[in-house]
Parts: sequence; C-alpha cells; structure tokens
Amino acid sequence: MSEMIQFTLNGAERSVAAEPDLMLIDVIRDVFNLTGTKHGCDNATCGTCTVVVNGKAVKSCNFPIEKAANAEVMTIEYLAKGTVLHPIQKAIAESGAVQCGFCTPGIVMELYGLLENKADASEAEITNVLSKHLCRCTGYEPIRNGALMAQKLMQARAAAK
Amino acid sequence: MGYKYIGKSYIRPDAIGKVTGKAIFLDDIRIPGMLHATILRPEYAHAKILKIETGEAEACPGVVKVVTGASCHYHYGDNIRDLVPMAVDKVRYIGEPVAAVIADTPKHAKAALEKIHVTYQPLPVYIDARQAMSQDAVLIHENLGDYWHLPTLDPVPGTNIANRYHLKKGRGGEGFGEADVIVEGEFDYPFGSCAALEPHGAIVWFKEDKTIEVWSSSICPFIIRDDLALSYGVPAADVRVHIPDIGGCFGYKSDITVEQTIAWIASFVPGSPVKWVATRQEDFTSTLIAHGIRTHMKIGAKKDGRLVAIQSTIYHSTGAYADTGVNISIAATHNSTGPYEFPHCEMTGYTVYTNTPAVGAYRGYGHQEAQLATERMMDMLARKLGMDKFELRAMNYLGEGKINALGERMYKYNGDIQTCAREVQADVFGKELPKEDEQFFYGRGFAAVMKSPKGAPFSTKSCFMKMNTDGSVNINMGGAEVGQGLRTIIRQVAAEALMIPPEKIRVYNELDTQFSPYEWQTIGSMFTMQGGRAIIRTADKLIKVLKETAAQALKTDVDYLEYDGQFIYLRSDPAMRIAVGDLARGYITGDGITIGDYAQAAADARLPRYANPDKNGQGSTGVTYTFGAQAVELRIEKKSGKIFVDRFSSMFDVGQVVNPLQIRGSVLGGVTMAIGAALHEELLFDDEGHILNPQLFKYHIPTIKDAPEQKIEFLETPDMIGPFGARGIGEHSVIGAAPAILNAIHDATGIDFYAIPITPEKMKQALEGMKEVAA
Ligand code: FES
Ligand code: FES
Repeated sequence: MSEMIQFTLNGAERSVAAEPDLMLIDVIRDVFNLTGTKHGCDNATCGTCTVVVNGKAVKSCNFPIEKAANAEVMTIEYLAKGTVLHPIQKAIAESGAVQCGFCTPGIVMELYGLLENKADASEAEITNVLSKHLCRCTGYEPIRNGALMAQKLMQARAAAK
Repeated sequence: MGYKYIGKSYIRPDAIGKVTGKAIFLDDIRIPGMLHATILRPEYAHAKILKIETGEAEACPGVVKVVTGASCHYHYGDNIRDLVPMAVDKVRYIGEPVAAVIADTPKHAKAALEKIHVTYQPLPVYIDARQAMSQDAVLIHENLGDYWHLPTLDPVPGTNIANRYHLKKGRGGEGFGEADVIVEGEFDYPFGSCAALEPHGAIVWFKEDKTIEVWSSSICPFIIRDDLALSYGVPAADVRVHIPDIGGCFGYKSDITVEQTIAWIASFVPGSPVKWVATRQEDFTSTLIAHGIRTHMKIGAKKDGRLVAIQSTIYHSTGAYADTGVNISIAATHNSTGPYEFPHCEMTGYTVYTNTPAVGAYRGYGHQEAQLATERMMDMLARKLGMDKFELRAMNYLGEGKINALGERMYKYNGDIQTCAREVQADVFGKELPKEDEQFFYGRGFAAVMKSPKGAPFSTKSCFMKMNTDGSVNINMGGAEVGQGLRTIIRQVAAEALMIPPEKIRVYNELDTQFSPYEWQTIGSMFTMQGGRAIIRTADKLIKVLKETAAQALKTDVDYLEYDGQFIYLRSDPAMRIAVGDLARGYITGDGITIGDYAQAAADARLPRYANPDKNGQGSTGVTYTFGAQAVELRIEKKSGKIFVDRFSSMFDVGQVVNPLQIRGSVLGGVTMAIGAALHEELLFDDEGHILNPQLFKYHIPTIKDAPEQKIEFLETPDMIGPFGARGIGEHSVIGAAPAILNAIHDATGIDFYAIPITPEKMKQALEGMKEVAA
C-alpha cells in the first residue's frame, strides 16, 4: 500500500495515494478535476501551472506530491467568491492582460503569492516574479499594468477594512 | 468618425472565464470512456522502416491497442495531398508519428511506447532547401508526381521541389538594364516555432453510429471536418468538430496539423474517444514549425533613387510535407517587394522538401522572412547611392495609383505609408543618438512594412444572428478565438450595425461544425475585415426581416419604415412604431394570429474578386493591404555582445481602430515575438536532422525582461471593404522588427548581418572581428 498524503485543497481536506513521480499538478488536474491549472511545458519553464502552497506561489509541475503533505494548496478556482472576483482577477481582466488566457491562471496565482504577502511590493519585485512566467500573446505590458492595478485595488481593500 | 461603439475599449467577453480558470481548453476536456494515446517518434530524420515489432508493447498493462501506419493507404492535404497520418514505409522527419499506443491512462500509454521496436535503414538527410535541390539528392517523396494538387501549383516530380512559383512584372529581369546602381544579397530567416503556451492536442471518437466526433486545439474545424470526411468516406455532415478555447495560435494551429494522426489512431478503437496532447517537446518536433526561408535579392535603381527592378528568389526549406508551407513560399515571393513599387519584377519561389518537420503558418506568413531582405537592401542601396534612407524609401512607396508586383492598383483607401514612415522616423530619429561609451554602442534602425492575406477562392466567413423578445441578440460565427480578441470585435461591430449596446449582444464561445456558421479558417489577419463585413450584411438582413414584419403590422410599405435599434417606426409619423422585441418572434396580433418571420439572419463575406494568379504569377490575389512603419532604438553591450532593445516604435494605417486596448495589445505582443525571433529564437538542427533545442528552456521566447517600451500609433484612412473602415492588423506587427534591428546594429557598429537571430555570441564574435579589421 502506498502512503496516503493528506492536504487541504481549496479549503477542503483531501488525500491521495503517493506514487513515484506524481506531481501536484497531476493530482490537481487529474484526480480533482481542477483544470484551471495549466500544463504548458515539460521542464518547469513556463509558469502556467503555478498554484499557491502555504501562501507561496510554486510550480505544481515539479512539486512532488509528498511535499504537499499537510500543506494548504490553493488553485485559481478558489480565488473568486461566487461571482465576486479577487482584485487580482479583476485587474488582470480589465488591463488587457488576457489574450488567449492560457498563461493567465498561473500569473494570477503568482501575483496572489506575492501581493497577499507583500501588498507594497515594488515594481521591480513584481517584474521579478513575473519573469518566471511566459506569455506569448501580450508583450507583458498589460500584465505589468494589471499587477499594478491589482496592487492598488488590494491596498484600497485593506484601507477599507 | 462619430461611431458609438467602434473605437472604444470594451473588456473581452471571455476575460472572466479566463481569469477564473474556468475557460475550457483542449486538455481540460474529459469524455466518459476516453482512452489516451502516446506516439512513437523515429530515431532518424530520413529512413526506410524495415520492421516494427509491437508484441511486447501490446502485452503491457492498460494497453488497448498498438497502432502503426503500415495499412494506411491514403494521403491528405488541402493544397498538395502529400501528407500521411502516420509513417507508412519511411520516415521523413525526426518528429514523425511511427506508431502509437492506446491505453487506459496516459501513464500506461507512455510506458508501453518504449517497448515498440523499430528497425530502420537510414537515408541521407537534408536540412536546407539548397542541399535538397542538388542534382544527386535522394528523393524525400518518390511519388510526388502522383499527388493530387491544386491546379495553381507546379510540383517538379523527380526532384525535391514541391512547387515552383514564378512572377514576372514588366520586363522582369531585363529591367535591370535601366538601373544605374544594383545591390544584391542573401538573407536567412531560420526555422522557428510559434510556441504558443498551449501545446496542440486532439480528441477523436469514431462512434458506433459511424459518425466521427472531434475536439481539437485548431482554428479550422471545417477543414478538419471536410478532410476527415474525405479520408474516411463519410458525409461531411457526419463529422462533427468542436473547438474549445485556444491557448494561442500564431499560425501553427491553422491548416490540419495533428488531427489526422489522432483520427488514424482512434480509428483502430471505434466506439472509444481517444485523447492525445502534445508534450512541449512534441509541440516543437511534431506539429508545424516556422520560416526556413532564404531570400536572394537583387535590387536596381536609377541614380536619383527611383527603383527600377527587383529579382528575388525564395528558397523555402518547407520540411517533410509541403501542404502547409507551399502558400507561405508563394506569399513570401510576391510580397518580397515590401511596400515599394518596382516597374520590373522577376520573382521565383521554390517550396522544397527537407527532412525537418513541415513548415506551416507563423504570424506574418512569408512577409517578415522576405521583407527582412527588402528592408536591409533599402538601407544598403541608400548607402550605395549616398542618399538618405528615408528619402529613398519615400520616393518609392506604394500608394495611390501605384502598381504592386501582382499588378494590383493601390488606392488611397489602402492606407498612407508615407505618414506612418514620417511619424515613426520623427519619433525615433528626431532626437540625438547617444554617443558610444565604455560599455555600449547605440543604434537606431527603421523598416517599412506591408502585408496582404494569402487567401483562397473559397475563403469566406459567416455570421448567424437571432434577436430575442427583449431585443438582445445572440451571434454565432465560425471564427476561432485564439486570444486575438475577435469576440470583442464581433460585439462592437454588431452593436454599431444593429444600433444596440454591446451588453445586449452575446457571442459564442466554442466552435462546433454542427452549429457554427461556415468559415474557411481564421487566418490572414482577416477576421475584423471579412468577419466584420459578414456581421454588417447579417445585421442588414435582420433589420430587413424586422421591417417586413412591421410593414404588415403597421399596414404600410417597407421603404417607409426606419430602424433605430429599439423600434421600427414610420418615417413620416414616428409615433407609429413597434418595439423590436415585439417583432422578434414575428408580430403577434391582438387575436393571436402571428405575422412575419422570426428575426434571425445569416450572411457571409469574402474579399471582393480574390482570384488565383495568372500565368505571369499575377492577379488580384492580395486584394487588401495594411501598411506601416517600425523603428527600434537599441544598445549593444561591448563586453557580452548582448543587445538591449530600449524602445520600439510602430505606426500602422489600420483604417479604423475598433478597440484601442486590444489593438495595442496585439501590436505589443507581435513586436515582442518578432524581437524574440530577431535576437534569440532559432530551432536548431544537427546534420542528422535531430532538433537540438525542442524545449522552452532552450528555445528562448521573450520574458517580461526582454520586452521593450513600445510606442504604438495608428493612422485611420478608412478602408472600403472592412466594416466601418477597419483593416487587418493581427500579423503586421511582426514584420519590421528583424530588419529594423539589423539596420540598427549596422547603425551602431557598421556591421552588416544577413541572418537572424543575432545572439550575444554572434554579436560578440562580430565585434571581435571588427576589432581585428581595425587592428
Ligand atoms: S507546466 Fe510549465 S512551469 Fe509547470
Ligand atoms: S495571454 Fe496568451 S500566453 Fe499569455
């Protein structure tokens, strides 16, 4: 019997049997059918598979499931509450950062990992985390704009609290 | 121009689905009972298959079937029927399908793949068109003469030349007799990949009722449908192709790519849907690759700078199959004039089989490859004439009354390249160039560009609209949304045409050949133009239906009625009116008797009078053109040879901007892609035809750190064909970057490059060579 790995996925307790080479992305997409997390490359280069584990953005395609034991895993599906978008989603949707949208979930999760921890991240820090992601469509300007817009929305949200 | 909805930035209707991760792409589709396929690729790029042993693989856990191409007796293709879904008795490139495993899980299918044993007899490998064209070259297609092809193509059986295209304008090559100055050179735009973030994939299901159902990451469901129907001998109506959201196309998801292979595999397990999704490596090695174009060019001019003649030869290394590449060679050939008028043209394009993956469409479709030559040569010619490069160009631009290589006359409505060029020149060259310093050389370069679509006689786009009782409207079209934003454009154009707010218009999401109106394929930067025209025609028909119904209800004649988006009313007495919603289902009279038709309509639009080339290679095969100018400011680091693109400036005459946010996004992305091609991207082959860098960590596409600041402007000289004056722009932004960058490198260092990409190593080497020359 292979070992069972317990973790929280989008707020719910989950478990899955550990198997060699089983990556977090396979569990997310194939076991739990959360297809918002994308698979864009073979070698952890593109960033489309990014999810948040214990508050930090990670590439789920090279994240062995064992490492997720007892962790809190969050995917793109968990960000919006009903029809209310997370400010990052709203900003990315409105800034022109979405063309084909294949890179989008990964980028949103990356920004979540950064901005939820560090609302006042500098533009250079934002560019740095975004440089882990490939986008073939936008030329990046609208993504950077979206990230900056999101940051403002989140700061306003914090001030309102 | 006083439009209500055109020219404003609306947010794309698919943005929410995409930011929430709910948009469905091919790999996200799961069908009950679905099996999974993996595909074996050869060890050799050109070899006879002597034997395939599948026994061991068949015995592996979870395996349902092992498939080979041995029994395949058909070829397919839209232009030249040279393709096979799986290698039959030989392999022609390194990524070719040789065999496949169908299993219950992808993991099982992958494990069994290694247990298939193939014996090959290697053949000579040709990577470059010139090698493959040599007298003693072994044939890549022995039966070229037997393949069906379009009547306009001219294959040369007994050689590796899949097509020859020749164009002559004026006195052709003899025109050089009038030239005082001649420049000549050869330029190379090497192999590359569209490398969309979503890899290709398909699901095919041969159903028990003998119909075929397909899901694919393709932009041409109707081509797939017709092609499979032909190959499998079923009515086209019995093949149903679905297209979910597409994670970027840039060309290589057009034409038929992987679908025939997956269909071949799935045909061995009728009753079960079979899914296959490319790994990133397969996306590079086994779908369509790009470019592979060498352009040999000679340009002659008068002493005063007037261009007189051009001779260009396109050597297109088109890969193992020519069906998807042949039109690129042709487009590259007749568009190799760039945006200039030459009285005499002699142009030849060779589409040549090579042992590389088939070359297919890449945003720009032959234009950036050939115009790399043209725009480098214009700078070189200016130098040789001792003339200002902007003045030389301005003297020769195509414009009203000028005749292009194809013999098409240009009109004012084709756009104003002179203004684009002047504005971009002022923006980039209007200030002082920083002086060379310890660390850097500084340079600026310019390129003027032109693009037309490469169409087909049956290239149409259609639209279906129905109005609801609340006056809202549903629209279906056959256009594939790949990220370019056509759903937003449909909404805006339809809103303008129907005079209702875009919020009242819902556009389709997925394509489905059972429900979607026909479209040839969504290519050539033509959706706004042709699709937009189809929308206007459909809206006109819909309004006519409403008026006809209202005429009966109001007991009057149709031509006395007006439409304003909300009501049909009597022009002479606007109080006599009926709300459009009350006409949607026909008009229901007080006694329940209903009159008139349901308010729905369909229409399509082609480019006017598109025609095949004549025996001179000329004809109205371009029909519509978008012109523009681009320029770059860059810095070259002396120590490393690294090139930093600091700023990039573009201006295009697009006729009418439909959505400012989206059009800027399109150009931003196109320029970034093209800078990638100019500085980094090259799909590298060794002599044996292996691909050396089929991974994103080796084939570098630009990251946010490579993306320059961009100035993007548009000129609006209204078009006569497109909706509300709009023209195509999707591909044009990729054309100017490579020549502008190479021209800027010369400006900075005096070094002339003839091929891209200019990697830091190449730049550094050239700088060292320069030092040696100086010393
Ligand atoms: S799938 Fe590309 S980084 Fe994970
Ligand atoms: S929007 Fe297409 S890859 Fe980023």
